[in-house]
Amino acid sequence: MTSIEEPVQKGLRPVRAEADDTVEVRFTVNGTPVVLDLPARVTLADALRDHLGLTGTHVGCEHGVCGMCTVLVDGEAARACLLFACQLDGAEVVTVEGLGRPDDLHPLQESFGRNHALQCGFCTPGFLLSAYDLLNNEPEVTDEELPAELSGVICRCTGYRNILTAVSETRAAYPEGIPEPGNCARRTLVGRSGGRSATVAEEHAEPSDEPARTVEIVLPEGEPTIAVQVDTALDVPFDEVWRVLADVHVLAGCLPGAELTEELGEQLYAGRAQVAVGPIKLSFHGIARVLEQDRETGTIRVLAEGQDTGGARTQADITLRASATAAGTDLRADAAVYLTGRIAQFGRALAGDISRRMFEQFAESVRQVATTGEAPQQSHAAPSAFRMVVATLVDRIKRIGRRRGGE
Amino acid sequence: MKAAPFAYARPAALSDAVAELVNADGGGKVIAGGQSLVPVLAMRLARPTTLVDINAVTGLDALRAVGDRLEVGATVRQRRVEHALESAQVPLLRLALPWVGHRELRSRGTVCGSLAHADPAAELPAVACCLDAELRLAGPDGERTVRAREFYAGAMTTALRPEDVLVAVSFPVAGPREGFGFAEIARRHGDFALAGVAAHVRADDAGDVSAATMTAFGVSDRPVTRDVTGLVRATGGDRSELVGALDDVVRELVDTDGDAHASNGYRRRLLRALAAREVAKAHRRAVRGTAEVGA
Repeated sequence: MTSIEEPVQKGLRPVRAEADDTVEVRFTVNGTPVVLDLPARVTLADALRDHLGLTGTHVGCEHGVCGMCTVLVDGEAARACLLFACQLDGAEVVTVEGLGRPDDLHPLQESFGRNHALQCGFCTPGFLLSAYDLLNNEPEVTDEELPAELSGVICRCTGYRNILTAVSETRAAYPEGIPEPGNCARRTLVGRSGGRSATVAEEHAEPSDEPARTVEIVLPEGEPTIAVQVDTALDVPFDEVWRVLADVHVLAGCLPGAELTEELGEQLYAGRAQVAVGPIKLSFHGIARVLEQDRETGTIRVLAEGQDTGGARTQADITLRASATAAGTDLRADAAVYLTGRIAQFGRALAGDISRRMFEQFAESVRQVATTGEAPQQSHAAPSAFRMVVATLVDRIKRIGRRRGGE
Repeated sequence: MKAAPFAYARPAALSDAVAELVNADGGGKVIAGGQSLVPVLAMRLARPTTLVDINAVTGLDALRAVGDRLEVGATVRQRRVEHALESAQVPLLRLALPWVGHRELRSRGTVCGSLAHADPAAELPAVACCLDAELRLAGPDGERTVRAREFYAGAMTTALRPEDVLVAVSFPVAGPREGFGFAEIARRHGDFALAGVAAHVRADDAGDVSAATMTAFGVSDRPVTRDVTGLVRATGGDRSELVGALDDVVRELVDTDGDAHASNGYRRRLLRALAAREVAKAHRRAVRGTAEVGA
């Protein structure tokens, strides 16, 4: 049995705040150091959901009975609704987002899926973290003790049998202790209610209202939200295409909805971009740095970071490669895109489709500019949401048709 | 449901914590784990003007043996006590802790917090009363010690004044010829008890019962303790005989009227059965001569 020798919290600093003041709190969430300024009465559950955009932590009864909001605090399960965020100064928090990656789930998550231990899924994050705490701290627990040990979380679908089976299976599979949470890495966290980024960019950096202007572009260490790869064959000679790629101003003009506003020197540029999808309108302000621009290999690599006033944030590592072919030029785009905030709540596949569609529009603009030598039309307008969504849907329907036809 | 706004103070010294409470002029409330307090705030049954967080106060997180007593500081979490080597010397505490809420609550909840909150159906106040624990209180006039059996004045009412902080509780360490029992009945594990009992029996070297105590909780507005030495001697600690022998004591102890969960008569039957079982267990352990935890 793991004994808990150390006092729970060491990082607590003395604080005094009036009822209408805010309290600064610094803690770590899923491996990311964050700093928040909050009224003292804001619970950890609300801080995670509203201020950090981590909506995997569910809120049910809000007085400690149902267990939906269970997270790990310094390695032990705790009710996020029974903790004021300001009390967690110096603490380490793990939420369900930190437990596993979508493409590499934690064994507990695998087991829950395999055993149909999640029905509506509302209680699942709470059960996962409660079960993780149990198996991690008390691995000698028996099957007979499981019902009582897991009674701190309530399942509305009454799927307890399968939940117990899932936990029991995981325990049996890892008698030496279950693996650590697998998705704890530095990343950008942005609240749903907008405002500034809450992530500490550097160890002691103060958060700024315009972090994009003052900090270097640091990509998160975790897996990208979307990886896009687009190949387009252009019927234009390589030299013409490279002329577009070599001039950052022209290049930016080819991006749908983008506009370059300022040159900051050292290949750093400020700009804005608008994206509209259905009712969602995002207006990003951000910076981009050209890391590489090599005519020999036809490669240009750009890091970009943008923040929307509504709290969405995107970061991207984009590489464009142009290579001469007999028919003209092949333009290949590789992009790792990191999304946070409400934009990340898009379906992953749809966001990927839209990103791909934007690159296709971009390639078409490059072709136009390379051919005519003129600035692309509508370069400063947001890409048509309607056209984009319709094209995406048509594309999907075609793909489904192909798959069916192939069978 | 969200708590109403409050001023928040997290001092580093005990004297500052007391000063905050004095300044709050009756509107202050101490928070350590908050596992009982925050729900009350969330439902706005309580609206303190100032919340004094004592987690940064140095020295309150000590869990240590002091002479023949185990001292548990105000910010020591229940789960830490549950697993700490030191607390094995107080078997009743170890027996009772798994009944306190759920693991998710014990990870933040403190032993002293539960004692100070004084819920009539809570486990730890009963343990403190059964063992005759001592509570150390700090106020503007300095520190004073109050015995647990004199600490409780009613439901959620204690000897704590609005400007006092409960800084530590000390439990007597068990000797080799002491036995303990603890059990409760709740609708779900971790919920507050419909009825519960803590039992303590001490035997002398010859194996004769020298003292027997039981504390009932969940059946009155505070934990109630009775000396049952005579009854245990008369029955020889036999469980089935104890059921009948405890009838009068139980009748007197259960003084709540029925509620939505259990009638007065049902609570009496629960308590009688639980008390007979746990006193018999405590007797067996005491006579066997090893202070041990577990069945």
